[in-house]
Amino acid sequence: MQKIGLFIPCYIDAFFPKVGIATLELLEKCAQNVEYPMAQTCCGQPLANVGCHSDAAEAEALFVRHFARYDAIVVPSGSCAHHVRERFDAIPQTEEVCHVRSHIYELIEFLHDILEVQAFPWAEFPHKVGIHNGCSTLRSLRTASMSELGEPFFSKPQALLSRVKGISFVTPHRPDECCGFGGTFSITEEAVSIRMGLDKVQDYYKAGAEYIVSADSSCLMHQQGCAEHAGVPIRFIHIAEILNGAQA
Amino acid sequence: MTSREEILARLRNNRPHSTDYVLPSLPLLGERTATRQRFEENLKDLGGQVLEQQEGEIFSEAIARCFPDEKVICSAVPEFDGTLRLENIISPQQADKVDVLVVRSPFGIVETGSVFLSEKELQHRNFAAHLTQHIVVLLSEKNLIANMHVAYDQRTEFREARYGVLMSGPSATADIQGVLIRGAQGVRTLRIWWE
Amino acid sequence: MKRSTPVNHAKAAEKFMKDTAHARFHDKRLWDLRQKRDQQMHLLPEWQELRTLASQIKEHTLAHLPEYLEQFEANALKNGVHVHWATDAAEHNRIVGEILEKHGVRTLIKSKSMVTEECEMAPYLTQCDVQVIETDLGERIQQLDNQMPSHIVVPAVHKLASDVAKLFAQHYHTAPDDDDPHSLAWAQRLAARPVILSADAGMTGVNFAVAETGSFVVCTNEGNADLSATVPKLHIATLGIEKLIPRMADLGVFIRLLSRSALGSPITQYTTHFRAPQKGSEMHVVLVDNGRSHRLGMEEFWTSLKCIRCGACMNTCPVYRRSGGLSYGAVYSGPIGVIIDPTFNERKYSTLPFASTMNGSCTHVCPVKINIHEQIYQWRGVLANHHELPFVKREIMRMVGKILGRPKLYRAMVQGAETTLNVLPRFLLYRTMNPWGKNRTLPRPVQQTFHAWYKEHRVKKNRNT
Repeated sequence: MQKIGLFIPCYIDAFFPKVGIATLELLEKCAQNVEYPMAQTCCGQPLANVGCHSDAAEAEALFVRHFARYDAIVVPSGSCAHHVRERFDAIPQTEEVCHVRSHIYELIEFLHDILEVQAFPWAEFPHKVGIHNGCSTLRSLRTASMSELGEPFFSKPQALLSRVKGISFVTPHRPDECCGFGGTFSITEEAVSIRMGLDKVQDYYKAGAEYIVSADSSCLMHQQGCAEHAGVPIRFIHIAEILNGAQA
Repeated sequence: MTSREEILARLRNNRPHSTDYVLPSLPLLGERTATRQRFEENLKDLGGQVLEQQEGEIFSEAIARCFPDEKVICSAVPEFDGTLRLENIISPQQADKVDVLVVRSPFGIVETGSVFLSEKELQHRNFAAHLTQHIVVLLSEKNLIANMHVAYDQRTEFREARYGVLMSGPSATADIQGVLIRGAQGVRTLRIWWE
Repeated sequence: MKRSTPVNHAKAAEKFMKDTAHARFHDKRLWDLRQKRDQQMHLLPEWQELRTLASQIKEHTLAHLPEYLEQFEANALKNGVHVHWATDAAEHNRIVGEILEKHGVRTLIKSKSMVTEECEMAPYLTQCDVQVIETDLGERIQQLDNQMPSHIVVPAVHKLASDVAKLFAQHYHTAPDDDDPHSLAWAQRLAARPVILSADAGMTGVNFAVAETGSFVVCTNEGNADLSATVPKLHIATLGIEKLIPRMADLGVFIRLLSRSALGSPITQYTTHFRAPQKGSEMHVVLVDNGRSHRLGMEEFWTSLKCIRCGACMNTCPVYRRSGGLSYGAVYSGPIGVIIDPTFNERKYSTLPFASTMNGSCTHVCPVKINIHEQIYQWRGVLANHHELPFVKREIMRMVGKILGRPKLYRAMVQGAETTLNVLPRFLLYRTMNPWGKNRTLPRPVQQTFHAWYKEHRVKKNRNT
């Protein structure tokens, strides 16, 4: 049986442990053999995104050391999966590094493309949700069609969620618009970041969403911060939690 | 070393490996039907109009009907006199007084509702096409080209004209608060007369 | 030479957004252009094929640019056009100044040209006692207001009609409270006509220059470029050397993409092909390098030269739409500006690649397929290596790197954060730079990290069984 290495990014570990727990339990419910290597830290994306990619060499080496032994590495975060797959080159590209890079999956991809999960009988979520795709998830991992290309509609997160009892979907005016998190951008460009975040949550709220659901906790953290501060009554949940059977 | 030599030398030195980048051959893409109906739809989208011929009406009557108050009607076509012939205009100042210019276009492009004009049709008074308040363009259905690819492929005018403009409706602007205004600095209206 | 101060995009953006009416309109108007662009795309099943062709043609041309420039020059000369070469902005301005002086030009009317903005030509010519009048409405508004264009296609998009009304009242003596765009546009037409009729020379930019014919194409909507080029007896066209395309037939691809990408219209109202001077007139073409040959040698960034200046990346950019073009403090703003401005002045524009969330929408609307967001990422690396990193000290990031490579140390930091949890993981950011909580609530404190939970519920359990 294939062995799955679970990668829990730093901010999920520290701020959203229940997303990590839901991911683990969900994979276990899908009969996967999952392990969380205890000595993992971070993929180094925060360094690379501010231009200091070379400083991430030790983090990358450590990551490979702990994850190279798995058949697949699953992470509940699109931007981390994208970083490891596309930009993980601060260290020499050994066979092990290449294995890690070509076998990392964002959770939705893994459930939809690899496991092809057809049902989540334990899950029920009788709410109207709006799906937010993080930008790396949408435009690099391509888990959904993008409006820029005019391609036929597809959405892997929606395909999975539609297998949850009771759920319904709303579509905002600008479904593909970035929410303004952008890592350090949320700090260095605070005003623009907040404006984008607020516009985003209001767009979903006006479309009738009770929840914004996403495969990217960092986007949710930012959007939730904006919504709560401005008093926009909308709730936030990671897709892993719904698929794992969270009620609300 | 001249600036020319300096620039070319730097480009030769810095360019990417040139054989890696092959010039693609150009397929004739796009919608290939060249109907008058499609031309008119696209023309109207860009603010152009059709000067419809009414029952039994000849061209000069249509002009008189369409422009009852305009005084200076300038013609660049032999079969219609107007009040002034284009060849008699000698300066832009004079052309600025023109209310309506009548000119024939050698071809139109269906995809965009565009008509082509060059110094040949404008009798080397290219400014006249832009200083006049209104323009009426004579066009024949048999000279319709389906789209831009076909036009550049087939029409030799693009290579031969010293000055060749594709006009697609009247001049327009949306520079003030995004409000679309037809009739900016050039012609305020453009009409097609089918012949 | 004094080192220039980096542009403070964040501060300028914040200021722009304080005026809600302007900021809201700006976002809405540009989003509307993006949607119109989408509609045009949906009408053409061959859209992606066109983008691929456009990209291939441009890459090929750039890789063979010396040959195509020579071919263009030879054909233009044959057509009776004067051809000039300018290595930089100063030479460009000098060349134009000399042509104008030779003809005794006092008034120059011009249509939009980003190269002349880049070269700061207008102030130079003013010093030479030449009056420069912009004829494009948006450019004229910006000229009267003494501002740079804020967008390469719609230069005054950050203004409301009421701003224009005030400006025109001051300069054209219109009623200051008449902010009807129709009457304002009419006022511009009335004011521009006499200037156009009496101008000594006209200047245009160039959208595409065709090597095989030595001709060039100018695309406008107002008709002002045609007026500028045909009314005076002297026409000067200025262009960046990257504007070349090999064949006349290539125009089919580019003309079909340009206005659809820019404004969501199938074509500009005027698409004008200039091959040779009009009878009794003189025509000059100035080929401008100004850093382009250098950029061609930058492995990660040379494809930015494919740009056809449609502005689609700006219209789709959520940051640009919120912050306004002037906040970039540069001639080229928005995503394309972010990746080309640092080639003009690395320190001054070192902040711009950080004025982006790298969301990638720009890359996918770009009609010539420039990987804009990837280049933004690459620029950050270049700037860090050149010690032009804003906001964070390189040493701090080095330290973060060390921590991320050492699990025990990392764990100790996270456990520390777990108890306080009043900021983002502190080790990721410079603490004083941390305004997360100003307008955003913080994530709720948690009792246990995932790591601790796993240890308790999985590791121990496994050990027990």
